[in-house]
Amino acid sequence: MTLDNSLAPEAGNTVAQFQSDGDAHLETRNLHVWFGERHVINDVSLVFPENSVTALIGPSGCGKSTFIRTLNRMHELIPYAGLAGEVLFKGQNIYSSGVDPVDVRLSIGMVFQKPNPFPTMTIRGNVLSGLRLSGTRSRNEDRLVEESLQRASLWNEVKDRLQSPAGSLSGGQQQRLCIARSLALSPDVLLMDEPCSALDPGSTIRIEETIRQISKNMTIVIVTHNMQQAQRVSDQTAFFLAEDNNPGYVVEFGSTPQIFTTPQDRRTEDYVSGRFG
Amino acid sequence: MTIQTLDRAPITRPKSATPWRRNSATKRISIVLAGTLPLVITIFTAQYFLLPGATALLTVFIPLQLVASALAAIKVGGRRGIPDAILTVVVLSLVSLVVIVLGSVLFNLARKGSHAISRQFLFYNSTYVTSSTSLDYGGVAHAVIGTFLIVGLAAVVTIPLGIGTGVFLTETRSRMRGPVRFISQAMSGLPSIVSGLFIFSFFAVAGFSVRGGWLGSLALLLLMLPTIARLSEEVLKLVPQDLRAAAMALGAPRNRAFFQVIFPAARSGMITAVLLGLARIVGETAPLLMTTVPTNGTNYNPFSGQISTLPTFIYKWIGAGSDFSVQRAWGAALVLMILVGTIFVLARIFGKQKF
Repeated sequence: MTLDNSLAPEAGNTVAQFQSDGDAHLETRNLHVWFGERHVINDVSLVFPENSVTALIGPSGCGKSTFIRTLNRMHELIPYAGLAGEVLFKGQNIYSSGVDPVDVRLSIGMVFQKPNPFPTMTIRGNVLSGLRLSGTRSRNEDRLVEESLQRASLWNEVKDRLQSPAGSLSGGQQQRLCIARSLALSPDVLLMDEPCSALDPGSTIRIEETIRQISKNMTIVIVTHNMQQAQRVSDQTAFFLAEDNNPGYVVEFGSTPQIFTTPQDRRTEDYVSGRFG
Repeated sequence: MTIQTLDRAPITRPKSATPWRRNSATKRISIVLAGTLPLVITIFTAQYFLLPGATALLTVFIPLQLVASALAAIKVGGRRGIPDAILTVVVLSLVSLVVIVLGSVLFNLARKGSHAISRQFLFYNSTYVTSSTSLDYGGVAHAVIGTFLIVGLAAVVTIPLGIGTGVFLTETRSRMRGPVRFISQAMSGLPSIVSGLFIFSFFAVAGFSVRGGWLGSLALLLLMLPTIARLSEEVLKLVPQDLRAAAMALGAPRNRAFFQVIFPAARSGMITAVLLGLARIVGETAPLLMTTVPTNGTNYNPFSGQISTLPTFIYKWIGAGSDFSVQRAWGAALVLMILVGTIFVLARIFGKQKF
């Protein structure tokens, strides 16, 4: 594959600095993204070890959300989307020709920025919707509902009204329901695209607790605009930046303490200390 | 520092808990005057100058009412109230115009049609009935059955086709969407008689049977299809992209995402689309005149023989020349309206969104 790397900034060096201890569970190699002719992500290579939490930070419009959507093939649902490079999941490129995107999305779940429970289903129906939609069966649905809701720390609030419509929940509860819905499929990886940006501080804390709990046996990638949140929940952090209408790229990628206390790049330091963005 | 001890028990709502609605006496009087004076003045001028109703309405009442409401608005809400008041008057007059027109149609239909309605009118066909037969003999049962058969046949084919077209236009990225949308849009302007003529001539040229109930259904299909297709497209477009993304992210193949998430979310709108499609064809007369042969007897088979429908029944008897036959036609019109109303109400009840 020949790619024009003339646009690629010096970031390549900083990426190489981080050597993960765990096995690469999910990994991108030289990922480029286009919308039509517009190049929006430039040569991103990141490694997500198993059961790690990775925070993607950076100013709006730098391609974080686009990047996270390439990790479970949601990106290709956008018209005129284009992509080059590789996304390796357990060593296999999820974009190679034999791979069914449905299988990818079953193993790599996603939680969106805005809570989007299915309005025509009950709370219980929403938790089980992943099973119904993917056509998989569960032997004990009641237990699955309870477990998923408990892992999303929503069970105590809804256990008496599982048959109520999902729309009757508050925004924070709806988001936790969406997390429970994803957890019910027991994915290996959970992608979270600013899951707390529409929520109050109380709900945010509950979701962060959930993230910490589920990350014991799940790989998590979370996009966030909240620096404190990134520090609280993540093991490693990638700082994305798009300068002067150029495509977004990773300025710096490393362990979270390192990014926030001893960043190598001046722009990372400025961003995490709140001087811009 | 003082610590307030609050009584946390709820208190009963006071009689007036809507302070924004408090109007002084003068304000109320000005509202009442603005609501009545223009009407009174209009009636007196119309009487005095012998103006016809429509002229009086347009030249006296509406200008007077606009001025009066503007004055009342200044009194009640200051200058900012004027546009509100004028808009309210315009909207209310347009609404009452529509209600009056619609109400008078329904009232006339009920008044003229009720003479014919009886048990026997609903349950008997019109065999041996001529234009001079009194209303004690014969009925519309055969036409009701024919309408159900022909419209039902058209609906059974068109509803899946129309909804399928809507789904094709919203859920796929095919290049054919543009042409399909254009054609369905153009088809919705098709005059109904042309649709009937097309089916009639097409099958005549092909050497098929020239007339029959199912040809009527085909002609109605052409009219119903674009309505349902366009409306279901609009309804599906209203389903948020968020829900589609959520379903896809849960590993749903497109068909399951559609049937379990998108369609349920659009269900009540879909029912509206189907009802409007039915409304478009149920009273159509011209295509049925071209394609079916009305009869006085009952025919349960739309694929052979002559068959009557309510619109063709009305058309036949309204021109038959006697008082009895005209009353028969009005009665059939009333029956048609009641049938349509019943179907609509039932569809709304059974199609109600669970939440």
